[in-house]
Amino acid sequence: MSLFPATAAAKAADRRATKPAPRPAPRGQRAAYGFIAPLGIGFAVFYFWPMIQTFYFSFTEFGPFGGHTWTGTDNYARVLRDVTVWQALGNTLIYCGIGLVALPLAIVVAALLNRRGLRGVAVYRALYFVPFVTLPVAVGLVWNWLYNGDFGLLNEILGWFGVDRHYWVSDPSTAVLAIGAVMVWSTTGYYLIIFMAGIKAIPRDYYEAAELDGAGPLRRFFTITLPLLSPTLFFASVICMIQSLQTFDLIYIMMGEKNPAVGDTQSVVGLFYKWAFIENAQGAAAALAFLLMLLIAGLTYLQFRLQRKWVHYG
Amino acid sequence: MRRRTLLCSGLAAASAPVLAACSDEGGSADGGGRTTVSYGMWDPAQVPGMKKVIAAFEEQHPDISVRIELTPWASYWTTLKTSMRGGTAPDVFWMNAVNFQLYAAHDVLEPLTEHIAHDRTPVDRHPEQLVRLYSYDGVQYGLPKDFDTIGLWYNKALFDKAGISYPDTTWTWDDLRDAAAELTNPRERVHGFCSEMQRQIVLYPAIHAAGGYVLRDGHSGFGDERSVEGLRFLTDMIDRGWSPPQSAMVENIGRVRFWSEKVAMVHDLSAMAGQMYAVPALKDHGGVTVLPQGREHTTIIHGLANVISAKSDKKAAAWKFVHFMAGRRAAEIQAASGVTISSYAGTQDAWLKSMPEFDLKHFIDMEKYGVPYPSSKNTAVWENLQYPLLGAAFSGKGGIEDAARTLGKQMDRALKEERS
Amino acid sequence: MADRRRVNTGSLATHLVLSLGALVMVFPFLWQALTALKSLAEVSKVPPTFLPDDWNWSSFDEVFTALPFREMLTNSALATAGRTAGQLVFCSLAAYAFARMRFRGRDLLFGLFLSVLMVPSSLLVLPQYDIIQQFGLLNSTPALFLPGMFSAFGTFLLRQAFLALPKELEEAARIDGAGSFRVFWSVMLPLIRPALAALAVITAMTAWNDLLWPLIVNTDPKTMPISAGLTSLEGQYETNYPVMMAGSLIASLPMLLVYVFLQRHFVQSVAFSGSKG
Repeated sequence: MSLFPATAAAKAADRRATKPAPRPAPRGQRAAYGFIAPLGIGFAVFYFWPMIQTFYFSFTEFGPFGGHTWTGTDNYARVLRDVTVWQALGNTLIYCGIGLVALPLAIVVAALLNRRGLRGVAVYRALYFVPFVTLPVAVGLVWNWLYNGDFGLLNEILGWFGVDRHYWVSDPSTAVLAIGAVMVWSTTGYYLIIFMAGIKAIPRDYYEAAELDGAGPLRRFFTITLPLLSPTLFFASVICMIQSLQTFDLIYIMMGEKNPAVGDTQSVVGLFYKWAFIENAQGAAAALAFLLMLLIAGLTYLQFRLQRKWVHYG
Repeated sequence: MRRRTLLCSGLAAASAPVLAACSDEGGSADGGGRTTVSYGMWDPAQVPGMKKVIAAFEEQHPDISVRIELTPWASYWTTLKTSMRGGTAPDVFWMNAVNFQLYAAHDVLEPLTEHIAHDRTPVDRHPEQLVRLYSYDGVQYGLPKDFDTIGLWYNKALFDKAGISYPDTTWTWDDLRDAAAELTNPRERVHGFCSEMQRQIVLYPAIHAAGGYVLRDGHSGFGDERSVEGLRFLTDMIDRGWSPPQSAMVENIGRVRFWSEKVAMVHDLSAMAGQMYAVPALKDHGGVTVLPQGREHTTIIHGLANVISAKSDKKAAAWKFVHFMAGRRAAEIQAASGVTISSYAGTQDAWLKSMPEFDLKHFIDMEKYGVPYPSSKNTAVWENLQYPLLGAAFSGKGGIEDAARTLGKQMDRALKEERS
Repeated sequence: MADRRRVNTGSLATHLVLSLGALVMVFPFLWQALTALKSLAEVSKVPPTFLPDDWNWSSFDEVFTALPFREMLTNSALATAGRTAGQLVFCSLAAYAFARMRFRGRDLLFGLFLSVLMVPSSLLVLPQYDIIQQFGLLNSTPALFLPGMFSAFGTFLLRQAFLALPKELEEAARIDGAGSFRVFWSVMLPLIRPALAALAVITAMTAWNDLLWPLIVNTDPKTMPISAGLTSLEGQYETNYPVMMAGSLIASLPMLLVYVFLQRHFVQSVAFSGSKG
């Protein structure tokens, strides 16, 4: 058991350097498959088989009530030709960029909430959980009230500083940012829970040893918390990216149908939803979903490659 | 406080089918020789009325019972489509004009023409435009249950304050404009009118009043000069500050502004009369009349229909129910419940009398020149083009002519695609 | 003395930051509560009011008459329990194999599992519905939680937690002659309790609030969870927000309790550092 994270990281690096590992024993392999089998079977039935089916349907024109005709790559051609797809992709990438802001926020709050001896910390923890149990409709209502162009609190406050009244969610130039802010708000609590769990798994003796060495809170954060949290952080950044690339619900709730900025804020999944469920173009919608999946898979792969540079495993 | 009671009863009744379903031991099975027909709908406010109609029906047909399946509006069509595929859709369900042709074209609805002829269903007692909305390729698939028209609602107190006379049936667009200008009071954030980007309530009526059209013989009317004129009438009010821009109405729709007395005149549905009546200020000094005349007198007429699923295995019982629903008795009960106007001619008295302060007769008088809600096989596709393309022009950024023409072209392309 | 003051200003600043954050976090919930206490007319008033004009508690009564609240809560509880238990079992098993065992095709298989996260979930709704129907499970409690029991998110989360554990523990147990499952069950699983608790909270919350799926598979009100039940208060033109907010406030209480119960599992590090191994 290494006491210092630096050595732990070095050891992990060593292990990786000595790859390839010896061929595992067949008995161990069988056990591993046994561990995976229950989940694998569930996935096969409820996810992989449906995915194969819809993948097939992405090459067909799909009737709204079943039935389909093979159309080859028409749907994919339609997706690539459609300018709204590219616009939605651009928006989606912006959402993803904004969405990642939740991570540093959540880490800082998680570290603060984990301070020992801080009074009222349990109350804070409960309060930070509250966004989780708030109905999405309520979230939409309150933010729209804050952003309201004519009677909103935000304009009211900015008015004190002489800033002009602004229609935040219906002006194309601010709508994406306004939604992005709510996105960060609503996901911070989520990552907070994950990070709090990650921090808890860090053995306390590390901190005690560092304290004996005279390291201040800031130093302890950067030399112990951050490196030892990196597996969790890696997880969170992959999930955050995947989920913000699939942003939809929030935009739907906040924008409404008649917002002049609808086109400027549309996300890829929003477009998918519109095609699949409103315009009865399931085939094209499936094609769009698989192209998005390809993009997400590529970015995720990149993250897995990059993790070697910064993630420390035990 | 009338609103409270109205909604309370609505809610209490909305729960009734839920509770009833819970105590219904047999579920939808045909146990004990009694056939249970499921009836799909989305509006909680109409459940009490429907319960009464069902009770009357069951009295006449002791061997059939009807069970309401209430699905929220937001997911009604998604759920329906899915259950249609799986064959678990309700036997009878509500249909609207936007979705009708899609369902009819895919043969998932039971043709009713022969049944109608056989049982002499009084189809001719319903508005002809409405009946035609639910026929496809000469076959009748749905029978109307109610109808909606659009009227001009106004706030008498704001008119009095501005010292001008109330709108009446003689009003033209010029009168509307002049009044809107007079009524607008920027200091109190009061507008004369709401040129809201709302297709059924505002856009389509304006287009038709100007002599234009939305859809004719499979072609878009948005590029038509008169249609553009109608739309320009609306955007002009925004440009002059007599109507809030669409960007402001995203957050506070015209209806809500009207309830809060921040706007003097709005277009709204007859179905909203009950809600208006529940606002104390409007019950006191709200009024309603026909839409002012542009080049023509017009309104948009729409109504829901009852249809039968082609996959139902209880079609005989389902038809008996739909037939009953299209008759006089059902219409009278529905009208008395005060939520919508029944489409059966001459049964609307109870509805008219339920809100004596409002001159609701205008909604029924407008039926004679009402234009049916435009629809095609895949209506949602071209309807979805409208708001994104017109949004800028309705937010005071001008350019309605170009936007409308672009919309016309794109809509034509979508219409061509749905025919192929 | 100077040192002590630094600590004090430090914790003062911490409190300031945390309470500001807490306010931002709680605000919508507070708004929800205030909305539940307003009359319907007041909710749609322009300009909006912050505090209710007159405090109106009747919405809380109405919820119980408007919906079969108890049945729906039971359905929600069963769906949530099923989904959470399933994820904890299936995901931890698979995650352990992915993190701590070597076998052919491991990375490929893991990538394949992750791909489930990469498609919009509504893409799979129709085929999933067909499967549930083939199983004859439409309008049943299992329909609510079956697909949700298998999660790539959970597997990935727990895999990361297993990866972060020091290797020596496992090796020590192996030398003692314990089998794979024993090592997993009695040595490794207890060590990732914080991550398991986090997964439980997140899964429970997601299951509790799930909307589209329940509405599609369970159209019969007696099999609907409360999340779906509440949306039936939504009309085409107008929604009864006070009753809806009151209902969701009541519905969210069990989840707050679950959280308070579970939170001690994922806050503050353990003094023990695994050195017992």
